[in-house]
Amino acid sequence: MASADKLINTDVPEKDVFALHFLRSLSNLRTQNPLNSPDKSIDRVRKIKKAAYVSMARAAGGNSRLWSRALLRRAAKDDNKSVRFSRRKRKVTWKISSKRRRSNQRAPVVEEAAERLRNLVPGGGGMETSKLMEETAHYIKCLSMQVKVMQCLVDGLSQK
Amino acid sequence: MSNRRSRQSSSAPRISDDQMIDLVTKLRQILPEIGQRRRSDKVSASKVLQETCNYIRNLNREVDNLSERLSQLLESVDEDSPEAAVIRSLLM
Repeated sequence: MASADKLINTDVPEKDVFALHFLRSLSNLRTQNPLNSPDKSIDRVRKIKKAAYVSMARAAGGNSRLWSRALLRRAAKDDNKSVRFSRRKRKVTWKISSKRRRSNQRAPVVEEAAERLRNLVPGGGGMETSKLMEETAHYIKCLSMQVKVMQCLVDGLSQK
Repeated sequence: MSNRRSRQSSSAPRISDDQMIDLVTKLRQILPEIGQRRRSDKVSASKVLQETCNYIRNLNREVDNLSERLSQLLESVDEDSPEAAVIRSLLM
């Protein structure tokens, strides 16, 4: 199998794409709660955190990645909103039921660690191990980008 | 897909070729973070995955912390020009 020819693309967008999405989310939060600010600060933190993950998933390409799709779906389920898919084509996905996945298993040591990883990466539960790793690579890059954006924002706001 | 069993360096588990490629790709991104302690072909798969799990957990924790700080900072912000300038500078 000429698998070496298949280049695994884990490019992520530039930082400002993430920044733009995140700032947009934040400003939406503010317009939603202009004067009746929620009393519990933990609610605010939770909303910001959720905005961070959702904006990250959107910046990363929305439905074009398995993890971002799973993340957005999970977020929409929390809001009880209907998830809007830009393309409703039934493409061949990498989602394999766990029964089939077991037949493709690697060495148990690897599978054990992969299982832990599956719990951390959104949508990991349905992925076969090699696909899981590709998604994880992209997820990590996006997450670190998001962290950088938030750090910049915090730094900028702290220097008054 | 042939498993190259001649590749049994240390206690490396049996991995197929394309998974090896995936691992190497992942490694090249993770290595800057963990400081290149080992050469790429000597690291076992499970170790890489473990490091990845730890890294993801760290990133999640960072997001939590930064969300908290942002929440505090955004509360104390009024709609004045300094903050708008900061935001504008981020967008440039």
